[in-house]
Amino acid sequence: MKGLLTTAGGLAVANWGALTHSQTIAAEAKRTGKRCIMLYMGGGVSQIDTFDMKPGRPTAGPFLPIQTNVAGIQVCEYLPKIARHADKLAIIRSMRTTSVDHGIGGYHMHTCYPSSQRFPHAEFGAMVAKYCENPENDLPSFVKIGSGSGIYGAGYLGPQFEPFVVADDGKLPGFANPSVSAEIQDRRGELLNFMEQRFAAQRPGDPFAAHRTSELRTLRLMRARTTFDVSAEWEKAKGRYGDSDFGRACYTAFKLVAAGVPFVEAAHGDYDGHNDNFPTHKANLQVLDPAWASLLQDLHEGGLLENTLVVWTSEFGRTPAINFQAGRDHFGRAWTIVLAGGGIKGGQHYGASNRDGFEVEENPVNEGDLFATMYTALGINPRVQHYLGARPIWATPDGSKPIKELLG
Amino acid sequence: MLMNQIFIGLLVASAWLWPEWVRAQESSLRDMIDREIKAGWEKEKLATPGRSTDAVFLRRVYLDLVGMIPSYEETTTFLGDTDPQKREKLIDKLLADPRFARQQAQVFDLSMLTRSHKVVEGTVGYRNRGRFRQWLAKQFEANEPYDRIAAKILQAEEDGSQLYFAVYRDTDEMVTSVSRFFLATQIQCAKCHDHPFESWTQKDYHGMAGFFVRTMSVEVPGKPEITNQQGKQYLVGEKTVGEAMFSLEEIDPKTKKKITTPIKPKFLTGEELTEPEPPQDYVEPKLKANELPPKPAFSRREKFIDWMIAKDNPFFARAAANRVWAQFMGRGFVHPVDDFNASNTPSNPELLKTIETDLVSHKFDLKWLIREIVNSEAYQAADLGEVTDAMPMFYERARIRPLSVEELTSSLHIAMGLGIESALKTEPSSQMMQYLGEPSDGQGRFQGSLSEHLFLHNGDQFRGLCRPNRGNLPEKLLMGTESWDEKVERMFLSVLSRPATTEERERFVQYLSVDTTDAKDPKLAAQRMEDAMWVLVSGSEFRFNR
Repeated sequence: MKGLLTTAGGLAVANWGALTHSQTIAAEAKRTGKRCIMLYMGGGVSQIDTFDMKPGRPTAGPFLPIQTNVAGIQVCEYLPKIARHADKLAIIRSMRTTSVDHGIGGYHMHTCYPSSQRFPHAEFGAMVAKYCENPENDLPSFVKIGSGSGIYGAGYLGPQFEPFVVADDGKLPGFANPSVSAEIQDRRGELLNFMEQRFAAQRPGDPFAAHRTSELRTLRLMRARTTFDVSAEWEKAKGRYGDSDFGRACYTAFKLVAAGVPFVEAAHGDYDGHNDNFPTHKANLQVLDPAWASLLQDLHEGGLLENTLVVWTSEFGRTPAINFQAGRDHFGRAWTIVLAGGGIKGGQHYGASNRDGFEVEENPVNEGDLFATMYTALGINPRVQHYLGARPIWATPDGSKPIKELLG
Repeated sequence: MLMNQIFIGLLVASAWLWPEWVRAQESSLRDMIDREIKAGWEKEKLATPGRSTDAVFLRRVYLDLVGMIPSYEETTTFLGDTDPQKREKLIDKLLADPRFARQQAQVFDLSMLTRSHKVVEGTVGYRNRGRFRQWLAKQFEANEPYDRIAAKILQAEEDGSQLYFAVYRDTDEMVTSVSRFFLATQIQCAKCHDHPFESWTQKDYHGMAGFFVRTMSVEVPGKPEITNQQGKQYLVGEKTVGEAMFSLEEIDPKTKKKITTPIKPKFLTGEELTEPEPPQDYVEPKLKANELPPKPAFSRREKFIDWMIAKDNPFFARAAANRVWAQFMGRGFVHPVDDFNASNTPSNPELLKTIETDLVSHKFDLKWLIREIVNSEAYQAADLGEVTDAMPMFYERARIRPLSVEELTSSLHIAMGLGIESALKTEPSSQMMQYLGEPSDGQGRFQGSLSEHLFLHNGDQFRGLCRPNRGNLPEKLLMGTESWDEKVERMFLSVLSRPATTEERERFVQYLSVDTTDAKDPKLAAQRMEDAMWVLVSGSEFRFNR
């Protein structure tokens, strides 16, 4: 059939010649085949109650450490399943970051730039989408499951890389469901194709091509939308992931990445434990543990972990000192982020906080270094340059360095 | 002697050209535009574009001047008119149309405040922004000279004009925005370091900050129709004291810190402001929350405005000329429009200079300038050609610009035969704002998002307009007794402002009539009608102005 394009899914959709003009084709040459899943702990997760425990110290809190499958690495007793994957984890216990309120912290930990610059920085997912997407894939390149971790957007990379936001449990928004039957869609698609081909013949303008490319991607998404619907398999998987929205989000993330989506972010919980930190954290960790562990397990067994970076992060950590309301407050001076999979050397601690956890004792890591490490793991140049008008802007701030010890 | 020669020359010319002489004088700028643009094509060895067809010109000039496509009646009247002066006449008609002021206000509002100013999101709501647009529209309706409009915005005294300062409320934002919008100069980099490529220094930056450092805005309770979501309105005032501070490279030997000193207000042209010393013992009165200080005896901001709009200001007229040109031609002579600098060479420097000078001599009459530009052959060039760039550097083809979400909303109403009243009173829904509001990659390149197209495919509001109902065009066509050929013709003229080609007519007639013969199910016919309408408004031809 003339003017048709066969997608990766084997479906024929109209091709208006748009893809040959598309800038995504140029980006494809740089495609790395890498993927990333970001698990974002909303509100600020406590390092001392998870991966940087201080047994016997006044700052310890009531939780106890347990052994993992790597000698020398201990984690919280409420992470028993994750403990069995410690060989895959690179635990950075020396995060020293600067934005310690939720809005600005969320922005900073999604873009690696302070929000005070008031500049439309692209969030990590948009950048991964740009450099790791397969333009022939029918699915969106940047999926955010739930909006709990904030929408910071594609900024200077443009609407093409805006996050595609689905519900907390991974379900699609209503307007992704076709309003008319497949038959009607097809026949009116042909009529649109007829009009576009005639129009394009004399007008090769870039905006027209961009419009047609988005239309094609949308048609493809609507055809591939069943990928988001994991209901049937979820019945079997929920025993392992935990029957929770976050569990289902992690499972959906696994399915999406397996289907070729380069970036998925899933947010979890409200860790903002200013009062009664411990019951809050205990409840959250019990949801987190099976979901995260099963995700790593499935990625590993599916042969995807090697190419999939799994990031466990937050806007900041929590104070070692326990306040009078049995809570911990916002804290950026010494906290923990965990990386696993794609390009990361597992089974290790990197950096350390001091005895009571108030300061970084060795190898401080700032936002830029963390992002430089993650970009490098994904095969993206951490100093890649873009422009906003005449102003140059880099993926990470000047002076950011990838951490060699973490890269496999 | 020389004067005599000119005088004689003029007499001879007027004798020859009279009575065309007066008209020739009036039309000199449009002719100059065409001479200069043509010279550019020759110099760059570019093929001369053809003239736009009447239909393409018609749609273009409607969108540019009144912010919506022409109605079916307006289209057929224009296309059927055989008067060779019909384009010029249409331009005059549209410039006198009240929709012109509204459209011009929308364009200025969006350039000045941008679509979503994230910093003030929640405080400056759409209702409030509407106030600013209404205020701007009043200015354009009265054809207020541009230098007056600019002065009033910076004075921020008229009801509705204050929103500019409500958005750019801190000194740095004011300095950046005022220098970019009104002076087309970017000095914001010099806040933290001397500009790397330009001559702007930190002292220039902080010198300009001196004019705005005393400005303050407050929120006070206001009448519901002029407030934001919190029931507040903005007022802008100025303190009597307050200085822009600047840290020198010198280190204080005592404190070991960089020395910070007040810096005198300094114009971009280099001279410092001379101002009376404030009384030594002056103390700013203690202000209650949300209270403005008394009007200062000496207003720095006023001095800045006087300097900015002075006839010989080298930045202001140039910035205006470039901006208005870009509004209609896609690209400024200098692109981006707000970035004149030594390495950003204008495409047609002579023409820019001419427009700048003529704009000043016409007392900043924007309507005059717009009339000259849209009457030029350059503006009326064809939309066809091999060039892929949305905004060709030497205007060798018409620019391609996406319809703003406001234009799209109004145009959908016109296309579906709902009339101008309905187009004017319907504002874009919040979903349309979200999905179609900012289709750009930040550098002005068009990018449609997945959400935009999902919305076009499945959004109820969009479909609701295409579906036959409540006396709209799809319903009229469905019920009508005309032939399918006539119906398709009307459909194309209503939506795309042009007749269908033979091939298109056949294809659409076939599409629309197929079910009505074998199945008399009205739902099937209605669905096909909706499909046909949907196709016409979803394609590139409708999405863009070209």
